[in-house]
Amino acid sequence: MRNQMNRSLLRTFTIALASMVAIATAARADDLVVGFSQIGAESAWRTAETKSMKDEAKKRGITLKFSDAQQKQENQIKAIRSFIAQQVNAIVLAPVVETGWEPVLKEAKAANIPVILADRTITVDDPSLYVTFVGTDLVAEGRMAGEWLAKDTGGKANIAELQGTTGSAPAIDRSKGFREALANYPDMKIIMTQTGEFTRAKGKEVMEAFLKSPDGKNINALFAQNDDMGLGAIQAIEEAGLKPGVDIKIVSIDGVKGAFEALVAGKSNCTVECQPLTGPAVFDAVEKAVKGIDQPKKIIVKDGVFDQEAAKAAIDSRQY
Amino acid sequence: MSETLVYAQSPVPRRLPFSRQQMPLLATILVCTALYIGACVTFRGFFSKDVAVAFFGDNAFLGIAALGLTPVILSGGIDLSVGSMVACANIVLATLVENHHVSASVAILLVLAGGALFGCGTGMLIHFFDLTPFLITLGGLFALRGGALLISTDQIAITNDTIVKLTTATVPIGFGVQLPITAATFIALAIVLIFVSLYTSFGRNVYAVGGNEASAVLMGLPVGRTKVLVYTLSGFCSALAGVVYTLYTSSGDATAAKGMELDAIAAVVVGGTLLSGGVGQVIGTCVGVLVFGIIASAINFQGTLDPGWNRIVIGGLLLAFIILQKIIQPGKTGHA
Amino acid sequence: MTTAPLDYAPPPPRSPRGIPLLVWPILVLALLLIFNFFFTPGFFHLTVRDGRVYGSLIDILRRGAPVMLLSLGMALVIATGGIDLSVGAVMAITGTIAAALIVRPDDSPLAFINVTHSLTLIILLSLAAAAIAGLWNGLLVALLDIQPIVATLILMVAGRGIARFPTSGQIVTFEHPGFEFLGTGGFLGLPFPVTIVVVVAILTGLLTRGTALGLFVESVGNNPKAARLAGVSSSRVKILVYVFCGFCAGVAGLISTADIKAADFNNLGLYLELDAILAVSLGGTSLSGGRFSIVGALIGAVLIQTLTTTILARGVPEPLTLVIKGMVVVLVCLLQSEKFRSRCKRLFKRGNS
Repeated sequence: MRNQMNRSLLRTFTIALASMVAIATAARADDLVVGFSQIGAESAWRTAETKSMKDEAKKRGITLKFSDAQQKQENQIKAIRSFIAQQVNAIVLAPVVETGWEPVLKEAKAANIPVILADRTITVDDPSLYVTFVGTDLVAEGRMAGEWLAKDTGGKANIAELQGTTGSAPAIDRSKGFREALANYPDMKIIMTQTGEFTRAKGKEVMEAFLKSPDGKNINALFAQNDDMGLGAIQAIEEAGLKPGVDIKIVSIDGVKGAFEALVAGKSNCTVECQPLTGPAVFDAVEKAVKGIDQPKKIIVKDGVFDQEAAKAAIDSRQY
Repeated sequence: MSETLVYAQSPVPRRLPFSRQQMPLLATILVCTALYIGACVTFRGFFSKDVAVAFFGDNAFLGIAALGLTPVILSGGIDLSVGSMVACANIVLATLVENHHVSASVAILLVLAGGALFGCGTGMLIHFFDLTPFLITLGGLFALRGGALLISTDQIAITNDTIVKLTTATVPIGFGVQLPITAATFIALAIVLIFVSLYTSFGRNVYAVGGNEASAVLMGLPVGRTKVLVYTLSGFCSALAGVVYTLYTSSGDATAAKGMELDAIAAVVVGGTLLSGGVGQVIGTCVGVLVFGIIASAINFQGTLDPGWNRIVIGGLLLAFIILQKIIQPGKTGHA
Repeated sequence: MTTAPLDYAPPPPRSPRGIPLLVWPILVLALLLIFNFFFTPGFFHLTVRDGRVYGSLIDILRRGAPVMLLSLGMALVIATGGIDLSVGAVMAITGTIAAALIVRPDDSPLAFINVTHSLTLIILLSLAAAAIAGLWNGLLVALLDIQPIVATLILMVAGRGIARFPTSGQIVTFEHPGFEFLGTGGFLGLPFPVTIVVVVAILTGLLTRGTALGLFVESVGNNPKAARLAGVSSSRVKILVYVFCGFCAGVAGLISTADIKAADFNNLGLYLELDAILAVSLGGTSLSGGRFSIVGALIGAVLIQTLTTTILARGVPEPLTLVIKGMVVVLVCLLQSEKFRSRCKRLFKRGNS
């Protein structure tokens, strides 16, 4: 009798233990570990994107391994390799440049780790090296800026352009899009263009030089490829005794809070949003990828275009 | 042991282990090992073949440039143009192979020759006109970066068969380890340069010129030739680093390796070489590169540092390394 | 960068014929200005508006003010045989501390300090932080005997991280007319940054040439052993120059932050340390230590800024800008080289005779 009781006790105990182990391992399997190789922390926009990713990961109970590459491609490649070594469930990559990812992505593919691109896209021969791209369309941003400016100035303007960091994807793509839009308006001319390196200080310095140049007094519009440069340029315009937003129409891209404040104050005319809060969309894609569910190759996050009126209405709800 | 004291000031590095001259290097290796063990213990997955191989592969281009920089610093000079040379070599190789359809081997040879030539020119300017190496190579930094950007501001994806095949080529070295070609080049170059620095007259001349140029001249050593050769070597190595970078990423990018010269100099100096010249070892540079690689990997494995703490931790670990280095070795290491 | 024996002390910044090395950067500067006179319309045009003078020449001085300040401190550090790579990061730290003190964001670790009403205190506290950063460098170099390039590299890397903390990683903008005056105000018709540079330069000159400090600095850099034997405390001198360099970087940081009315910890002062070292070198101070020239450093800084402004005024794209900058650097170096000049003279002589 005792033997039988012991045996059944043992059996129950074993079953309980086994199921606990099973539940425990199952729970661990649900705990996703995602490696995120971020470009850096070089601007408010970038830090907003990072925060969105971290917050979303926390909300979903995902362990996020975060790597700040300080804007160097080799650091991102290193980070991806370490993610592979740590056997993460998925890799999110915000690539600092467009090319050069084949070797390391091949390794990720060989390790069966899905790769999701965030914010910027890459050029690869083999599209199976990444699952999907979640982000904004940089070329479209440039185009929207150009279209808005054309509408606002009636198709006639002498434009000064502040470009981003030479050789960077946003600079290349936004320039392309802007010029595509301008091609339809022969009276809209870019009379001067220089790099403002995406910073406030350089934007101000270059704008000063623009205004002082012999053609400077003809400038009646400014296209700043990001808001920071635009904000610096606004200061330069003011210090030159002109009225930004009135004497010179200003359109910039990103949609940071500073730009909204400038719009409300009447110092800027338009900002094209470049949505950094892509955390939810990215992690949706990650979870689908891990489960093996099919999804489109490109998931474009919509950008809005905000003029002064729209800015006044929206400014309180801006998160970054 | 007393004989070693008599030779303590000799510019020729001792080949016997544990001599006074070797202490800085030993200290460096010891602390590097401690760092590695610490990381292995803290992070699951750190202690693995792949991670160890990655140290050499991922840091290969930095390591090759730092190796080429070591003789320059040992001779009392400096070369700030290494980063820009890497980018220039990278974009020139990519352009030649993709846009001008030059064969990969010819293109690589051209790039290496170009780098050596540029270095030779730098060395000649520095020697014949008594110019400050810092300034001239700073000018080189600007000029090469501008040159690279002039060639192409867009990145160039490489589809050339040979290069693509090379990016995944590996060299088996036993124990089931496959070294990627980038790592293999780094290690091969290290072995060559260690040999050259310790066992050739060129190596001895480099140490002599760095230790005391005036004395070297009086001793009748070929100071001019030595100085031109170290810069030629540095130019060659940075171009080689650029080729390796091309294999590493399979693309051309004129904005690559910005600020890399500072990383390379730091690796050389952390490895125990004095910036004033005459003291240090090539193998120390290898250790220095590994140290930076381990720190970067450890931070990646940690995975939760935000950008602010990221930089502070790197700086802090570097400081800890330097201080430990000083504690372990007796006596002065000299000062700048 | 070689340590020469006693009887081969590095030559003073004068060629044997007595032409100061300073002549060459001045010459190149003059050439640049002449080039602009002919080819850049309106470069020398000066207008007066609201009691302030405006023009490209004034811009050069105003835009070059931060580098000029950096080069003042850097000249002294280099003269002791050292180098300070962290000046850019110190600029960022100082600027963000000032911004945090002005705006007092809720999540800032400095929120407990309430000095928004007092411009003096804001400036003093920020500069104190800069001096402490300099002290840190000085202690590492002088007491722990760490090579200056590595010691200051540590702060250069870590400092960019430290600079994020006062404003909790947010690029804070502010409106503070008093503080903004530092960057955009005017005094005696000239931009206020220029006044600041003049004041600090005079201060530096008095400190170094009016007291024995300059001699001490030069002797420590020229020949540390001899200096020690002569009773000069090398550690104290070194610590002092690094603190001073940190202070100068702090002032530069305040000016730059006031200029853009924002705490841009990522980009403030980025790569400016190279420009400062370049300026000091062009101005005739040898990088291996020894004699230094304050005026030379300032002229070097003005030369660099003139080049930048000229290029901007002509709308030259960045790649070409870099190549030109490189060539100008090499040109000035060649001109400063006695050997180069004598070889050129020989070429001419052979041609004539």
